[in-house]
Amino acid sequence: MTGGTIFDQATKTGEGGSTTPGVREHPPYNADFEERYQANLALRDAGIFPDPNSFCGIPTGYPRLMNLPDVYEFAVTEKQVWIITENGPNVMRIYTDGRQHPAREDMWPTHTGDSIGYWEGDTLVFDTLSLHSSESGNTIIDRTGLVLSEAAHIVTRMHVNDQGMMEVQMTINDEKALTAPWVVTKLYRKLEEGARVYDYACNENNRNPIDPKTGWTYTIGPDGKIMDVNPGQ
Amino acid sequence: MKVLSISRKVFMIIALGIIFVGSPVYSHHSTAMFNQEQVLSLSGTIKEFQFTNPHTWVQVLVKDERGQEVEWSLEWGSPNTLGRQGIRPSTFPAGAGVTIRTYPMKDGSPGGLFIGARFADGKTIGRWE
Repeated sequence: MTGGTIFDQATKTGEGGSTTPGVREHPPYNADFEERYQANLALRDAGIFPDPNSFCGIPTGYPRLMNLPDVYEFAVTEKQVWIITENGPNVMRIYTDGRQHPAREDMWPTHTGDSIGYWEGDTLVFDTLSLHSSESGNTIIDRTGLVLSEAAHIVTRMHVNDQGMMEVQMTINDEKALTAPWVVTKLYRKLEEGARVYDYACNENNRNPIDPKTGWTYTIGPDGKIMDVNPGQ
Repeated sequence: MKVLSISRKVFMIIALGIIFVGSPVYSHHSTAMFNQEQVLSLSGTIKEFQFTNPHTWVQVLVKDERGQEVEWSLEWGSPNTLGRQGIRPSTFPAGAGVTIRTYPMKDGSPGGLFIGARFADGKTIGRWE
Protein backbone atom coordinates (compact mmCIF):
# COMPACT_ATOMS: atom_id res chain seq x y z
CA MET A 1 0.00 0.00 0.00
CA THR A 2 1.15 3.55 -0.58
CA GLY A 3 -0.08 6.99 0.14
CA GLY A 4 -1.45 8.74 3.18
CA THR A 5 -4.05 7.51 5.59
CA ILE A 6 -7.73 8.23 6.10
CA PHE A 7 -8.70 10.19 9.21
CA ASP A 8 -12.02 8.49 9.90
CA GLN A 9 -12.39 5.00 8.44
CA ALA A 10 -16.02 4.97 9.60
CA THR A 11 -17.02 7.75 7.20
CA LYS A 12 -14.94 6.64 4.25
CA THR A 13 -16.26 5.40 0.93
CA GLY A 14 -14.15 3.72 -1.71
CA GLU A 15 -11.25 1.32 -1.46
CA GLY A 16 -7.72 2.45 -0.82
CA GLY A 17 -5.91 5.19 1.01
CA SER A 18 -6.41 8.92 1.09
CA THR A 19 -4.42 9.43 -2.12
CA THR A 20 -6.48 6.91 -4.10
CA PRO A 21 -8.84 8.61 -6.58
CA GLY A 22 -12.47 7.99 -5.77
CA VAL A 23 -11.91 7.48 -2.04
CA ARG A 24 -13.42 10.12 0.20
CA GLU A 25 -14.85 10.77 3.66
CA HIS A 26 -18.28 12.09 4.61
CA PRO A 27 -18.13 14.42 7.59
CA PRO A 28 -21.43 16.30 8.11
CA TYR A 29 -20.27 19.25 6.00
CA ASN A 30 -22.56 22.13 5.10
CA ALA A 31 -22.89 22.99 1.40
CA ASP A 32 -20.05 25.53 1.45
CA PHE A 33 -17.48 23.18 2.97
CA GLU A 34 -18.65 20.20 0.92
CA GLU A 35 -17.88 22.32 -2.15
CA ARG A 36 -14.41 23.16 -0.79
CA TYR A 37 -13.82 19.46 -0.05
CA GLN A 38 -14.87 18.49 -3.59
CA ALA A 39 -12.35 20.97 -4.97
CA ASN A 40 -9.63 19.43 -2.79
CA LEU A 41 -10.60 15.93 -3.90
CA ALA A 42 -10.19 17.00 -7.53
CA LEU A 43 -6.67 18.26 -6.77
CA ARG A 44 -5.97 15.00 -4.93
CA ASP A 45 -7.14 12.99 -7.94
CA ALA A 46 -4.75 14.95 -10.15
CA GLY A 47 -1.88 14.33 -7.72
CA ILE A 48 -1.40 18.01 -6.96
CA PHE A 49 -3.22 18.49 -3.66
CA PRO A 50 -1.14 20.95 -1.57
CA ASP A 51 -0.37 19.02 1.61
CA PRO A 52 1.41 21.33 4.11
CA ASN A 53 3.40 18.34 5.42
CA SER A 54 5.11 18.12 2.02
CA PHE A 55 6.96 21.34 2.74
CA CYS A 56 8.56 20.16 6.00
CA GLY A 57 8.70 22.22 9.15
CA ILE A 58 5.01 23.14 9.57
CA PRO A 59 3.41 21.44 12.58
CA THR A 60 0.87 18.80 11.65
CA GLY A 61 -1.80 20.35 13.84
CA TYR A 62 -4.81 18.94 15.65
CA PRO A 63 -6.70 16.70 14.96
CA ARG A 64 -4.48 15.49 12.08
CA LEU A 65 -1.63 14.63 14.44
CA MET A 66 -3.78 11.82 15.84
CA ASN A 67 -3.57 10.20 12.41
CA LEU A 68 0.16 9.81 11.81
CA PRO A 69 2.29 6.73 11.33
CA ASP A 70 4.88 5.58 13.88
CA VAL A 71 4.91 6.01 17.62
CA TYR A 72 2.89 8.12 20.04
CA GLU A 73 3.85 8.92 23.61
CA PHE A 74 1.20 10.07 26.07
CA ALA A 75 3.14 11.75 28.87
CA VAL A 76 1.15 12.43 32.02
CA THR A 77 2.47 14.94 34.53
CA GLU A 78 0.81 16.77 37.43
CA LYS A 79 -0.13 19.88 35.52
CA GLN A 80 0.06 18.91 31.85
CA VAL A 81 -0.40 15.97 29.52
CA TRP A 82 1.74 15.88 26.40
CA ILE A 83 0.91 13.97 23.24
CA ILE A 84 4.25 13.52 21.50
CA THR A 85 4.26 12.08 17.98
CA GLU A 86 7.42 10.56 16.53
CA ASN A 87 6.36 11.58 13.00
CA GLY A 88 6.72 15.31 12.56
CA PRO A 89 7.64 15.45 15.30
CA ASN A 90 4.74 17.12 17.08
CA VAL A 91 3.96 18.05 20.67
CA MET A 92 0.43 18.77 21.82
CA ARG A 93 0.13 20.27 25.32
CA ILE A 94 -2.99 19.86 27.42
CA TYR A 95 -3.09 21.98 30.59
CA THR A 96 -4.63 20.10 33.51
CA ASP A 97 -3.72 22.64 36.18
CA GLY A 98 -7.20 24.10 36.37
CA ARG A 99 -6.66 27.05 34.07
CA GLN A 100 -9.36 28.16 31.63
CA HIS A 101 -9.00 29.18 27.99
CA PRO A 102 -7.74 32.75 27.58
CA ALA A 103 -10.30 35.43 26.68
CA ARG A 104 -11.20 35.40 23.00
CA GLU A 105 -9.29 38.63 22.32
CA ASP A 106 -6.18 37.08 23.88
CA MET A 107 -6.14 34.02 21.63
CA TRP A 108 -4.78 33.61 18.13
CA PRO A 109 -4.94 30.48 15.95
CA THR A 110 -2.15 27.94 16.23
CA HIS A 111 -1.66 24.47 14.79
CA THR A 112 -2.41 22.61 18.04
CA GLY A 113 -4.70 25.27 19.53
CA ASP A 114 -5.30 25.87 23.23
CA SER A 115 -6.22 22.75 25.22
CA ILE A 116 -7.48 22.56 28.79
CA GLY A 117 -8.34 19.27 30.41
CA TYR A 118 -9.33 17.36 33.50
CA TRP A 119 -9.57 13.77 34.65
CA GLU A 120 -12.75 11.76 35.02
CA GLY A 121 -11.28 8.77 36.82
CA ASP A 122 -8.88 7.26 34.26
CA THR A 123 -10.27 9.24 31.35
CA LEU A 124 -8.61 12.46 30.24
CA VAL A 125 -11.14 14.94 28.86
CA PHE A 126 -9.86 18.04 27.10
CA ASP A 127 -11.29 20.97 25.21
CA THR A 128 -9.42 22.50 22.25
CA LEU A 129 -10.01 25.91 20.70
CA SER A 130 -8.16 28.41 18.55
CA LEU A 131 -7.00 26.05 15.81
CA HIS A 132 -5.67 27.22 12.47
CA SER A 133 -8.10 26.72 9.63
CA SER A 134 -6.81 25.59 6.25
CA GLU A 135 -6.93 29.19 5.04
CA SER A 136 -5.16 30.86 7.93
CA GLY A 137 -2.48 28.35 8.72
CA ASN A 138 -2.15 25.55 6.25
CA THR A 139 -3.86 22.90 8.31
CA ILE A 140 -5.67 19.92 6.84
CA ILE A 141 -7.13 16.88 8.56
CA ASP A 142 -6.04 14.22 6.10
CA ARG A 143 -4.77 13.84 2.56
CA THR A 144 -8.20 13.47 1.00
CA GLY A 145 -8.30 17.24 1.65
CA LEU A 146 -10.56 17.44 4.70
CA VAL A 147 -10.53 20.92 6.24
CA LEU A 148 -12.22 22.80 9.08
CA SER A 149 -12.83 26.49 9.76
CA GLU A 150 -11.29 28.66 12.46
CA ALA A 151 -14.47 28.04 14.50
CA ALA A 152 -13.49 24.40 15.13
CA HIS A 153 -13.97 23.37 18.76
CA ILE A 154 -12.98 19.83 19.69
CA VAL A 155 -13.73 17.86 22.85
CA THR A 156 -11.51 14.81 23.23
CA ARG A 157 -11.87 11.87 25.60
CA MET A 158 -8.92 9.53 26.05
CA HIS A 159 -8.53 6.36 28.10
CA VAL A 160 -7.02 2.88 27.97
CA ASN A 161 -9.90 0.51 27.19
CA ASP A 162 -10.59 -3.05 28.34
CA GLN A 163 -8.50 -4.43 25.47
CA GLY A 164 -5.50 -2.41 26.64
CA MET A 165 -5.71 -0.02 23.73
CA MET A 166 -5.61 3.76 24.02
CA GLU A 167 -9.02 4.87 22.82
CA VAL A 168 -9.32 8.48 21.66
CA GLN A 169 -12.75 9.90 20.89
CA MET A 170 -12.86 13.35 19.30
CA THR A 171 -16.13 15.26 19.03
CA ILE A 172 -15.52 17.91 16.41
CA ASN A 173 -17.83 20.93 16.41
CA ASP A 174 -17.54 23.60 13.76
CA GLU A 175 -20.52 25.92 13.25
CA LYS A 176 -19.01 27.33 10.03
CA ALA A 177 -18.23 23.99 8.38
CA LEU A 178 -20.42 21.25 9.91
CA THR A 179 -24.17 20.77 10.24
CA ALA A 180 -23.74 18.47 13.25
CA PRO A 181 -20.99 17.31 15.65
CA TRP A 182 -18.63 14.86 13.98
CA VAL A 183 -17.44 12.07 16.28
CA VAL A 184 -14.23 10.24 15.34
CA THR A 185 -12.69 7.42 17.38
CA LYS A 186 -9.11 6.21 16.99
CA LEU A 187 -7.37 3.28 18.66
CA TYR A 188 -3.70 2.85 19.47
CA ARG A 189 -1.97 -0.35 20.59
CA LYS A 190 0.75 -0.47 23.19
CA LEU A 191 4.28 -1.29 22.05
CA GLU A 192 6.40 -3.90 23.83
CA GLU A 193 8.49 -2.97 26.90
CA GLY A 194 11.82 -1.46 25.93
CA ALA A 195 10.55 -0.10 22.61
CA ARG A 196 12.41 2.96 21.38
CA VAL A 197 11.26 6.19 19.85
CA TYR A 198 13.45 7.90 17.28
CA ASP A 199 13.65 11.40 15.95
CA TYR A 200 12.35 12.45 12.55
CA ALA A 201 13.83 15.16 10.37
CA CYS A 202 11.67 15.88 7.34
CA ASN A 203 14.40 17.89 5.63
CA GLU A 204 17.21 15.41 6.30
CA ASN A 205 17.11 13.99 2.77
CA ASN A 206 13.97 15.34 1.15
CA ARG A 207 14.23 14.34 -2.52
CA ASN A 208 10.66 15.33 -3.40
CA PRO A 209 10.39 19.09 -3.88
CA ILE A 210 6.99 20.49 -4.82
CA ASP A 211 6.66 22.87 -7.78
CA PRO A 212 5.00 25.92 -6.16
CA LYS A 213 3.24 26.89 -9.43
CA THR A 214 1.66 23.59 -10.40
CA GLY A 215 1.78 21.55 -7.19
CA TRP A 216 3.56 18.70 -9.00
CA THR A 217 5.84 16.53 -6.84
CA TYR A 218 9.30 16.17 -8.42
CA THR A 219 12.00 13.61 -7.66
CA ILE A 220 15.65 14.56 -7.21
CA GLY A 221 18.13 12.07 -8.64
CA PRO A 222 21.47 10.95 -7.19
CA ASP A 223 23.22 13.85 -8.92
CA GLY A 224 21.14 16.33 -6.94
CA LYS A 225 19.10 17.43 -9.96
CA ILE A 226 15.42 16.92 -10.69
CA MET A 227 15.16 13.69 -12.67
CA ASP A 228 11.56 13.66 -13.89
CA VAL A 229 9.34 15.76 -16.08
CA ASN A 230 6.22 17.60 -14.93
CA PRO A 231 3.48 16.31 -17.28
CA GLY A 232 1.70 19.66 -16.99
CA GLN A 233 4.58 21.50 -18.64
CA MET B 1 -12.26 19.28 38.68
CA LYS B 2 -10.33 16.25 39.84
CA VAL B 3 -6.55 16.75 39.92
CA LEU B 4 -4.51 13.66 39.23
CA SER B 5 -1.87 13.21 41.89
CA ILE B 6 1.14 11.23 40.82
CA SER B 7 4.47 10.68 42.49
CA ARG B 8 6.46 10.21 39.32
CA LYS B 9 6.09 10.87 35.65
CA VAL B 10 4.46 8.05 33.76
CA PHE B 11 5.29 7.62 30.13
CA MET B 12 3.25 5.27 28.02
CA ILE B 13 4.47 4.41 24.60
CA ILE B 14 1.60 3.63 22.33
CA ALA B 15 1.78 2.95 18.63
CA LEU B 16 -0.89 3.31 16.02
CA GLY B 17 -2.17 -0.19 15.41
CA ILE B 18 -5.54 -0.63 13.76
CA ILE B 19 -4.94 1.53 10.71
CA PHE B 20 -1.54 0.23 9.80
CA VAL B 21 -2.05 -3.52 9.45
CA GLY B 22 0.03 -4.49 6.44
CA SER B 23 2.57 -1.71 6.93
CA PRO B 24 1.65 0.96 4.38
CA VAL B 25 4.20 3.43 3.14
CA TYR B 26 3.31 6.90 4.31
CA SER B 27 4.10 9.60 1.78
CA HIS B 28 4.21 13.22 2.81
CA HIS B 29 3.74 14.04 -0.85
CA SER B 30 1.84 12.87 -3.90
CA THR B 31 2.76 9.54 -5.51
CA ALA B 32 1.17 10.54 -8.83
CA MET B 33 4.54 10.34 -10.60
CA PHE B 34 4.60 6.54 -10.21
CA ASN B 35 2.75 4.12 -12.48
CA GLN B 36 1.04 1.86 -9.95
CA GLU B 37 -0.69 -0.18 -12.65
CA GLN B 38 2.60 -1.79 -13.66
CA VAL B 39 5.29 -3.64 -11.70
CA LEU B 40 8.79 -3.38 -13.17
CA SER B 41 11.47 -5.91 -12.33
CA LEU B 42 15.10 -4.76 -12.37
CA SER B 43 18.34 -6.64 -11.73
CA GLY B 44 21.55 -4.96 -10.69
CA THR B 45 23.89 -4.22 -7.82
CA ILE B 46 23.34 -2.04 -4.80
CA LYS B 47 25.21 1.26 -4.87
CA GLU B 48 23.84 2.74 -1.67
CA PHE B 49 20.97 2.46 0.82
CA GLN B 50 20.11 5.95 2.08
CA PHE B 51 18.60 5.25 5.52
CA THR B 52 17.18 8.74 5.95
CA ASN B 53 14.02 10.67 6.59
CA PRO B 54 11.54 11.47 5.21
CA HIS B 55 12.11 8.49 2.87
CA THR B 56 14.76 5.81 2.56
CA TRP B 57 16.19 5.32 -0.94
CA VAL B 58 17.63 2.16 -2.48
CA GLN B 59 20.16 3.18 -5.14
CA VAL B 60 20.75 0.36 -7.66
CA LEU B 61 23.14 0.19 -10.64
CA VAL B 62 21.31 -1.44 -13.55
CA LYS B 63 22.64 -2.13 -17.05
CA ASP B 64 20.37 -0.74 -19.76
CA GLU B 65 19.78 -2.26 -23.25
CA ARG B 66 23.06 -0.82 -24.48
CA GLY B 67 25.02 -2.28 -21.59
CA GLN B 68 25.43 1.15 -19.99
CA GLU B 69 25.17 1.33 -16.22
CA VAL B 70 22.29 3.52 -15.02
CA GLU B 71 21.68 4.41 -11.37
CA TRP B 72 18.06 3.80 -10.35
CA SER B 73 16.51 5.53 -7.30
CA LEU B 74 13.84 3.48 -5.52
CA GLU B 75 11.84 5.33 -2.87
CA TRP B 76 10.72 3.53 0.30
CA GLY B 77 9.34 4.34 3.76
CA SER B 78 10.96 6.17 6.67
CA PRO B 79 13.63 4.57 8.90
CA ASN B 80 11.18 5.01 11.78
CA THR B 81 8.53 2.81 10.16
CA LEU B 82 10.89 0.37 8.43
CA GLY B 83 13.21 0.10 11.43
CA ARG B 84 10.35 -1.37 13.44
CA GLN B 85 9.91 -3.98 10.71
CA GLY B 86 13.52 -5.12 11.01
CA ILE B 87 15.03 -3.06 8.19
CA ARG B 88 18.51 -1.69 8.98
CA PRO B 89 21.10 0.47 7.20
CA SER B 90 22.91 -2.82 6.52
CA THR B 91 19.88 -4.42 4.81
CA PHE B 92 21.16 -3.40 1.37
CA PRO B 93 24.98 -3.74 1.39
CA ALA B 94 26.87 -1.92 -1.36
CA GLY B 95 27.87 -4.32 -4.12
CA ALA B 96 25.18 -6.91 -3.40
CA GLY B 97 23.42 -8.41 -6.42
CA VAL B 98 19.67 -7.87 -6.22
CA THR B 99 16.40 -8.02 -8.18
CA ILE B 100 14.03 -5.20 -7.37
CA ARG B 101 10.29 -4.91 -7.95
CA THR B 102 9.05 -1.36 -8.32
CA TYR B 103 6.23 0.86 -9.55
CA PRO B 104 8.24 2.85 -12.10
CA MET B 105 8.16 6.58 -12.85
CA LYS B 106 5.55 7.38 -15.50
CA ASP B 107 7.94 9.46 -17.59
CA GLY B 108 10.55 6.71 -17.93
CA SER B 109 13.21 8.31 -15.73
CA PRO B 110 15.26 5.80 -13.69
CA GLY B 111 13.20 5.82 -10.51
CA GLY B 112 10.26 4.19 -8.83
CA LEU B 113 8.38 3.32 -5.66
CA PHE B 114 10.07 0.35 -3.98
CA ILE B 115 7.91 -2.77 -3.58
CA GLY B 116 10.35 -5.58 -2.75
CA ALA B 117 13.73 -7.10 -3.43
CA ARG B 118 15.35 -10.51 -3.68
CA PHE B 119 19.03 -11.24 -3.16
CA ALA B 120 21.09 -13.90 -4.96
CA ASP B 121 20.74 -16.25 -1.98
CA GLY B 122 16.94 -16.09 -2.24
CA LYS B 123 16.41 -13.80 0.75
CA THR B 124 13.56 -11.35 0.12
CA ILE B 125 12.87 -7.90 1.54
CA GLY B 126 9.54 -6.04 1.49
CA ARG B 127 6.69 -7.40 -0.61
CA TRP B 128 7.77 -10.18 -2.96
CA GLU B 129 5.23 -12.49 -4.54
